[in-house]
Amino acid sequence: MGDADAFGKLELELRRGVVVLATLSQLRAPRYGYELRQALADKGMAIEEGTLYPLLRRLETQGLLKSEWNTEGGSPRRYYSLNADGRKLLKKLTESWQGMNHAMDRLLQEG
Amino acid sequence: MNANDVIESYVTDVAVRLPRKHRNDVAFELRALINEGLQDKAESTGRIVDAGMAVEFLQAFGRPADVAARYRPSLTIIDPADGYAFLRASVIGLVLIWGLGLLEFFQRPIGSGWDFLQALGQWWGAALIPSMWWPGVLVVGFGAASWVRRQSPQTSHWKPRAGDRINGGRTAMVMGLAGILCGLFVLIEPRWVLNVLFGGRAAPAAYEALSYTDTFLRRQGSLLFVLLTLNIPLMITVIVNGHWSVITRRIEIGLGLLTCAAMMWAVLDGPVFMARASDGLVKSLLVLITVFTLINYGIKLHRSVRPAPDRQGQY
Repeated sequence: MGDADAFGKLELELRRGVVVLATLSQLRAPRYGYELRQALADKGMAIEEGTLYPLLRRLETQGLLKSEWNTEGGSPRRYYSLNADGRKLLKKLTESWQGMNHAMDRLLQEG
Repeated sequence: MNANDVIESYVTDVAVRLPRKHRNDVAFELRALINEGLQDKAESTGRIVDAGMAVEFLQAFGRPADVAARYRPSLTIIDPADGYAFLRASVIGLVLIWGLGLLEFFQRPIGSGWDFLQALGQWWGAALIPSMWWPGVLVVGFGAASWVRRQSPQTSHWKPRAGDRINGGRTAMVMGLAGILCGLFVLIEPRWVLNVLFGGRAAPAAYEALSYTDTFLRRQGSLLFVLLTLNIPLMITVIVNGHWSVITRRIEIGLGLLTCAAMMWAVLDGPVFMARASDGLVKSLLVLITVFTLINYGIKLHRSVRPAPDRQGQY
């Protein structure tokens, strides 16, 4: 396995681990799919459409998001936002992430 | 085909793979999102949306089957941890079935290229294609095991096991000893079985069918008798000790391999019984016992671990 190949695969695994947390973090207020993708990309976390849009539906099925169609005005859009369970999970995952991030910072600084 | 046709085709390919009750809603949302993404791309590149651009955009979006799969919780039939075990069991089983099929179809006299092709065709139709039941059975078996593990994780907790334990305990070993004694009993005089079962009133043809040939008695019969008899002190030792030791294991494997060799010698050397039907039956049983014994030893060999440093890994 070449260096670039190994880097690509391992980086993808790292990104997979944070996609859910990144998505939940941007749904405190209602957003529709394309808007959410732009918001994530603007903050440096570009997620492919083919990954993000299905993820929103999965999180909704898991009972973490609520959604509703807005058909007023221009093109119809389905807006997603955190529900009570989603907010609780976001809080827990944020704490967990911060703990891991802190530990990783220390580990990487030692190196 | 214009850009809208391309988008419709893609959205349909994704939605058709989803559960019916979500299909239309997802398709509606997906189409709107793709249109918006495509428009944005066109504006940023200063192009007009056309079919080529739509195809390029949707190819980057992902294969419809992959995208559709992401809409649903992942479905695992065989646990990834079982992947190699499944592959190994599939390959070994298929090779065994194909090999036995080859033996069956190529035992017949082959006098010409046409005979060879005919045997090959029969093997293909009667052994190779039907052998696919084996991977199917494995999928069901491994799938059921995965399902049970997911439903009751506590049942799959690892438990230590002693390498020298007797499978089934002393009771099983005593039963094995009884089996060996029965085997010796039958080996000495198979017609005794008829006396025991029918009180000596079995048909004369039955007695004839179970008469050994002189060659077998002189060559392999006496050898098999000695080898089987040697199992008795070995098994008594293991029953008394309550466990296997390195020495008793080695003796067991050595005796087993010698017995397999003697059985194969009997199969290949000539008739065992005077009657053709009983000879064919007993030879099939001998081959079956040998195959299962060798598979058992193969599994034991595969499972053996002797911790030692890898010299290549030294630094």
